[in-house]
Amino acid sequence: MAADPEVLTPLEQPPPRSRWPLALALSLAAMLLVGFGSAAVLARLGRPFVATPFDATASAGATGADPANLRKHAVQAEKELEKVYPKGVYIVVDAYRNRLHLVKNGQIIRSAVCSTGTGILLKDPRNGKQWVFDTPLGERVVERKVKHPVWAKPDWAFVEEGLLPPTDPNERFDDVSLGDYALYIGDGYIIHGTLFKSLLGRRVTHGCIRLGDEDLEFLYRHAPIGTRVYLY
Amino acid sequence: MHRSALACISISLAALGARAGDVPPDPARVAALELEAGLAKRPFVYLVLDPQRRVLEIKARGAVLDTVQLTGIEIISQQPLLTRDLPGRPPIPAVWTVKNGPGDTDREIVAPKELRPAPKEDEAEAEPTPAETPTGPSPTPTPISVPPSSYRSRLANGWDLWITDRLPPQSAVGTFLAAVRDGWRRLRGLGEDHPPAVTLAMADDDARRIHHLMRTGTAILVAGEL
Repeated sequence: MAADPEVLTPLEQPPPRSRWPLALALSLAAMLLVGFGSAAVLARLGRPFVATPFDATASAGATGADPANLRKHAVQAEKELEKVYPKGVYIVVDAYRNRLHLVKNGQIIRSAVCSTGTGILLKDPRNGKQWVFDTPLGERVVERKVKHPVWAKPDWAFVEEGLLPPTDPNERFDDVSLGDYALYIGDGYIIHGTLFKSLLGRRVTHGCIRLGDEDLEFLYRHAPIGTRVYLY
Repeated sequence: MHRSALACISISLAALGARAGDVPPDPARVAALELEAGLAKRPFVYLVLDPQRRVLEIKARGAVLDTVQLTGIEIISQQPLLTRDLPGRPPIPAVWTVKNGPGDTDREIVAPKELRPAPKEDEAEAEPTPAETPTGPSPTPTPISVPPSSYRSRLANGWDLWITDRLPPQSAVGTFLAAVRDGWRRLRGLGEDHPPAVTLAMADDDARRIHHLMRTGTAILVAGEL
């Protein structure tokens, strides 16, 4: 039976192909090319930080190569180190952790929580004078020890509170703030007691080292005048 | 601190290893010992960086006061991306000195605008002062800013010492992107070169606790193979 051409369904023409995806892909490729190219150019201009291993191989030995001479130098250096090495009783203060250790013959015989300097810088509005409230670093010596110490308040103690320093020296004396004992370590720095024991363990002082009552008494009794103090 | 004597002696014995036997002392070790003896003469705290043991020791008079364990030591320098020119190797042993550090500069400043006369003892005070034996709550201390865990110090030899709690990532992509960023800055005239930085990575608390030691004049003995 012949097919009726009238009823033949005309062949469906495929829809015209869209060129958008191709254009999009080409655009993207072009953008990537330009972007990457620009980035590559910029990267050539840049100098990024690059890490290389630290070469710890010794490369300097100024003492000379003669073994006998080297040995002599080494013995001399060792003697010098032994001469200054801390001996007997000494005090170590960790100003970051706020810890004080009393050491005897290399053994810690007392550890205490202390308070150290804030590190704050105070400016006097009258003349621009500045004070830095750091606990000093390095080696110091217990220069003197005092029971029931009296504090002659320096200018900064008033300036800090917004007060004019008094002209009458009698108005500077304070027989309470330092506690029962004081160990003077030079330049006005003192290891002393405190009224505010809850602040022990914090950096709240003007550079002095504050201790609790019992620790201060122990230190007063066991650290003679001349005791070295190492602060870091 | 118990180890302080041992640590000091260990350097000496290392240098004098030849005393018992006939092996000549290592010149570098003797040089390090001499440098340390020179530092220990002064009443200051100094640091000893031992890259072999990956420790930074805080010392005074030859005694170890504290030890910081390092998690990494690198030299970080700015280099072109493709044509790398590695920085010169610093001689070891050597004493580096901090020329300018955050321990000098990172400070809170308190500056009253004006001062008023102190009240006399028999006058009523304008502001309450703490009682002699306080029974109430403690006064609130001035809040102290926490030191950062990543900071740079400039050394006298022109290098930087970078203390950080993490070394920067060094992936290829990261380095490329960093180069692009830096290149863009340089294109705008903002880029600048930094000296090579000896970078010490350590725990964040350790980085904070040595922050105040990085002050002008702080000496760092760098001694390999102590």
